[in-house]
Amino acid sequence: MTTPARETVLHAENLSRVYGEGNMRVEALKPTSFAARAGEVMAILGPSGSGKSTLLTILGLINPPTTGSLRIGNVQVIENGQPRTSLERQRRQQIGFVFQRSNLIPFLTAHENVRLSLELDGVSSSESRGRARAMLENLGLGKRLDSLPARLSGGEAQRVAIARALIHQPSVVLADEPTASLDSGRGRQVMELFRDAAHSQGAAVLVVTHDHRTLDLVDRILEMEDGTLTERASAGTGAHT
Amino acid sequence: MMDLAVRDIRHDLGRFVLTALGLGMLLSVVLAMTGIYNGMVVDATVLPDTLGADLWVVQRDTKGPFAESSRVPLRLAERLRAVPGVSRTRGYVSFNVQESGPDGKVQRFMLAGLSWPDDTGDRLQLAQGRPLRAPHYEIVADASLGLPLSTQLRIGRDLFTVVGVTSGMVSSGGDPILFVSVADALNIQNDLSNEALRLEGEARLARIRRSEYGRDPASLARAGQPGLPALTPPPVNAVLVDLEPGQDAAGVRERLEQWPDISVYTLDEQRGLLVRGVIDRARRQIGLFRALLVAISAIVMGLIVYTMTLDKMHSLALLKLLGARRRVILRLILEQSLLLGLLSFFVALLIGELLFGQFPRRVLVADGDRLSLAAVVAGISVAAGVVGLRKAMTADPNQVLAS
Repeated sequence: MTTPARETVLHAENLSRVYGEGNMRVEALKPTSFAARAGEVMAILGPSGSGKSTLLTILGLINPPTTGSLRIGNVQVIENGQPRTSLERQRRQQIGFVFQRSNLIPFLTAHENVRLSLELDGVSSSESRGRARAMLENLGLGKRLDSLPARLSGGEAQRVAIARALIHQPSVVLADEPTASLDSGRGRQVMELFRDAAHSQGAAVLVVTHDHRTLDLVDRILEMEDGTLTERASAGTGAHT
Repeated sequence: MMDLAVRDIRHDLGRFVLTALGLGMLLSVVLAMTGIYNGMVVDATVLPDTLGADLWVVQRDTKGPFAESSRVPLRLAERLRAVPGVSRTRGYVSFNVQESGPDGKVQRFMLAGLSWPDDTGDRLQLAQGRPLRAPHYEIVADASLGLPLSTQLRIGRDLFTVVGVTSGMVSSGGDPILFVSVADALNIQNDLSNEALRLEGEARLARIRRSEYGRDPASLARAGQPGLPALTPPPVNAVLVDLEPGQDAAGVRERLEQWPDISVYTLDEQRGLLVRGVIDRARRQIGLFRALLVAISAIVMGLIVYTMTLDKMHSLALLKLLGARRRVILRLILEQSLLLGLLSFFVALLIGELLFGQFPRRVLVADGDRLSLAAVVAGISVAAGVVGLRKAMTADPNQVLAS
C-alpha cells in the first residue's frame, strides 16, 4: 500500500498493556500516544524489560492492547482496546516485519520467501515471481534467488528478510534489532536500506535497537523506560532532504 | 499460492521417503493380512468348489467330510444313483499324508480320491499334463509340491506317476492336494501288513466261534477259507451327488434326508461349514490382527505427522506472524499427511506385488481390498493431519519475536 509522503501512517493513542490483576498487576506499557509519518525512520531505544517488545507486539497486531486505539494507514484497526477489523489481514497487508535473526522459512528459497508475502495476500504466482525477483535484484541478490536460507550469509539473509518485509508495500515496517547480528558496515547498509525503502515506498519504519552506531540514520528517536515512551529531543542526521 | 507442503517435503526429501517406506512396510503387512484372510477362505473352499457336486452326502448327524469325520459305505453311491433326478454319484475320500519326497525332504499333503472312471479329474484346472487315464498309480499333484510331470512318487507300498499338475489346489490347512483314484486312496489309507491281515482273519474266526454261527461246522469252515477277504470294504468319507440339469436340489435333498443313515448338504452349506467352522478361529484371529495393525498404523502415522509439525513450529509461527490465513496452515499440514499416506500406500502395493507371491500360502488381494486400504489410509492420513493441525494451531507468532 503506497501512502503519500509525510502523511501520518501510524497513529497510536493511549495504548497500554496490563498483565495480571490485583497484587499481580503489571503495567508493561503505560498509556502511550505517538504518530509516525510516511517515509519516517524511527528508533526505539530502551533497556531489556522496558516494554519495547510489548509495544512492538501491539503495533504488529500480534497482541491486543488493554486500552487505546490504533490507526494504520487509513484503517482504524483498534479502538478502545478492541479490534475493529481482522488483525490477521491488516498484518498481512499493512505491516512488514524484520527480526534480529532473519527468520526466513528454511524450506523456501530466497525468492520464494519474498514471494510468500505477496502470495499470502492473494497476489498471483506470475506477478509475485516478477516483483520478488526485481526486489531481490535491486538488493544485489540476483544470483541468490534459488538459494535456501541455510546457504546465505548473515547479511544476505537479512537483506532477503528486508525484501520480504517491503515487497507488499506496507504502511509500517517493524524491525526488532535488525542489525544486532551484523558487523558495523553491514549494519549501516541495512539501516540505509530501511531509509531508502521508507522514502521510496512511503512507509514508516520503527526500529527497536541497541545499536547506537546507526542512530545517525534515523529521523526520530523514542526512548522506552518502565513502560513509558518518550521522544528524545533531537535525532541524528537522518532527516529528510 | 505456492505449495508449501511440497516445498517442505522437497527440503528434506530423503527423510520423507524413508518415513513413507517404513509406513508403507507397515501398510503392506495390513495388506498381507487381508490377502492371507482371503486366501484362507479360498483355500478352504477350493476343493468343494472344484469338485462341484450339487449335494454332499455324509454320515448321519455329522458335518463331514471336512468339518467332522464321516464314514459312509462306498455302495451308498449305487443307492443314490437310483434316486430320481440324480445323474451321477462319486465316492469321496481324503486324508493327510506325510511322505519323504525324491530329495528326501519331508512333504505333507492331502490325498483326495477321484471316483475313477466317473471322475478322472477333468474338472481340475490343470497347469500341465492331463487328468487320470488309468484306475491306478497315477497322480494329479498341485504345483506347490514341486513335482514335475512324470515324477515317480512312492506312497505307501506303491509307486505313483505324476500325470497332471494343478495350480492353487490346497486343503483348508494350506497343504497341497494330490489326487489319485478313490480305489488307490482307499488302498493307501487301509494298507495293512500281511501279519495284520492274518491277525484280522483270526480275530474274525474267533468272533464267529463265539456267535451262534460257531456251532455250525460249515460256517466255521467257510470263515477259515483263505480266499475270503479278511476285511470288509473300507468306507469313504462322503458321496458326491450331481443332479440332472434343471433338477431342484432342495427337492432331491428333502427326499434323501428321509434316509436314516445319511445327512445331506448343498455346496453352499458345505462351504459355510468350512468357512464358519474349520477356519473360523484362524479367520477371526487374522481379522483381529488386521484391525490391530490398522490401529497401530494410525497411531504411528499420527505420531509422524505430529513430529513433522513439531519440526516446523517456528515456520508456522512465522507464517501466522506474516498474516497467513488458517487455511494456508491447514493445507500445509493436511497435504503433507495425505502425501505421506499416498506414498506409503503405493509402497505397500509395490511390496505386495513383489513379495506376496513368495509366501508359502495363498495371499489373495483383490482390487476391492486395495481400494479399501486406500480408503483406510486416506482416513488415517486425515486423522493424523488433524493431530498435526491441532499442534500447528498452537504456534504463537510471539515465539518469532522471542527467538
